Amino acid sequence: MTFSLARPSTIVEALRLLADDTEGPTAPLAGGTDLLLDLDDGRSTARRLVSLDKLPWKTLAWDGPRLNVGATLPLARLGSDATVRARLPGLSEGVDAVGSLALRHRATLGGNLGRAAPASDLLPILLAVDATVRLVGTAGRRELPVARFLRGSRQVDLAKDELIESVSIPEARLSTYVWQRVRPANDVSQVGVAVARSGSSASWRLALGGVLPVPTRIPEAEVHLTEERPRPEDVELAANAAATHARFVTDKRASEAYRRRLVATLVRRAVARAQIPPGER
Amino acid sequence: MTSEVALTVNGAAPRRLAVPDSERLLDTLRWRLGLKGTKEGCRTGDCGACTVLVDGETTLSCLTLTHEVQDRAVTTVEGIAEDPEGRRVLAAFAAEDALQCGYCTPGFVVSLTGIRKELGASAPDSAVIEALQGNLCRCTGYLAIVRAVARIGNGNP
Ligand SMILES: Cc1cc2nc3c(=O)[nH]c(=O)nc-3n(C[C@H](O)[C@H](O)[C@H](O)COP(=O)(O)OP(=O)(O)OC[C@H]3O[C@@H](n4cnc5c(N)ncnc54)[C@H](O)[C@@H]3O)c2cc1C
Ligand code: FES
Ligand code: FES
Repeated sequence: MTFSLARPSTIVEALRLLADDTEGPTAPLAGGTDLLLDLDDGRSTARRLVSLDKLPWKTLAWDGPRLNVGATLPLARLGSDATVRARLPGLSEGVDAVGSLALRHRATLGGNLGRAAPASDLLPILLAVDATVRLVGTAGRRELPVARFLRGSRQVDLAKDELIESVSIPEARLSTYVWQRVRPANDVSQVGVAVARSGSSASWRLALGGVLPVPTRIPEAEVHLTEERPRPEDVELAANAAATHARFVTDKRASEAYRRRLVATLVRRAVARAQIPPGER
Repeated sequence: MTSEVALTVNGAAPRRLAVPDSERLLDTLRWRLGLKGTKEGCRTGDCGACTVLVDGETTLSCLTLTHEVQDRAVTTVEGIAEDPEGRRVLAAFAAEDALQCGYCTPGFVVSLTGIRKELGASAPDSAVIEALQGNLCRCTGYLAIVRAVARIGNGNP
């Protein structure tokens, strides 16, 4: 599908271009690893893309106990950062799961949030640590928790003339992301499980991906995981609760029954793995 | 819309070309510049046959707009022998006969070159092979490719 491309160098100019539909539907372009394929198969009808490449958002910085990830930072740079792996191992593990190294040199966190795919490997950990999305639009800036930003499958709380600027992620040394799929690279996870225990929370948070319509926390499982080192019987209750309370689908990648079993297994695995220091996993 | 883009490919001086906004780097390389070493396997990011280096980093040219690499250095398999790491990879592939039909080979050679530069010469073979997982070989000639990786790892191309 043909479209025109604008490459603005300022945020103001990018927002002005996004607000202007005179050339047809307009969409922001980050790495393009979702959007170009959506254009190819008609899922996106955009006729003008606004590249975010020149905006000053390829950033990675700690602000006390929070990590700020610029929306257009290539995922590969997030994945190779040793400090992030020590302080937020679950995030690094989510990044490792995305596609292949070459894909991660272009794919971004902003694009993953913008797409809000049911089987995203990054949304579960962002939910489990209760990350915040920072938006900038013609009307100004606002921020909201990832859980509220995600409205449904491929639906997010984002105005037309608004962009994801960065994601603010609390440190969580006790965190992990585990997944199951047929092929390790360039395949979609059948199920992904993130668990994390971060400063603000009295118990573990647990979120699932690969479960329609959009990655979600499972409070019915979290209530069993209050202790820092949950007892085996509590882990069992959490695993069963996750398998019972999540909504599962059957699709070409796995049946509902298989996904339920997978979830229980991956919850057990995730809680055990989160206790192991990142360097020894 | 078509507009001009300055492309720096394989170390040559930047070339100004008129390229449609929606054109992929893969197509510009193959059909405007005649660099047919870069292969199209899937056009969906799944196979790695189209891998090139952009500022030294492995990049899927089928999922990259040509205009997005303006002012960046692109290296294709045709230019890989200019790079000492690239020469090592080529020699190891030749020594191990690490190809069958050869369709995936440019992608593997460029990927492996970029991965070695990114992970460093002391990276364990297992990490290099993990980073190669985005490259598929339809002839399933993986064993010889893994031997080529090991050969380079042993410092013995
Ligand atoms: C072969 C292949 C394998 C993949 N494997 C995985 C995987 O294992 N796990 C996984 O989670 N994903 C996977 N993906 C999907 C994709 O790579 C990721 O979702 C990626 O993070 C998208 O980022 P991007 O920068 O390429 O987004 P783009 O394609 O540039 O954008 C995606 C959407 O978000 C919007 N957008 C982008 N940036 C912003 C912003 N800053 N503000 C507002 N809106 C924005 C765009 O308009 C578009 O609608 C895969 C894709 C391919 C092609
Ligand atoms: S042609 Fe680009 S990944 Fe297959
Ligand atoms: S050698 Fe034939 S595809 Fe790899």
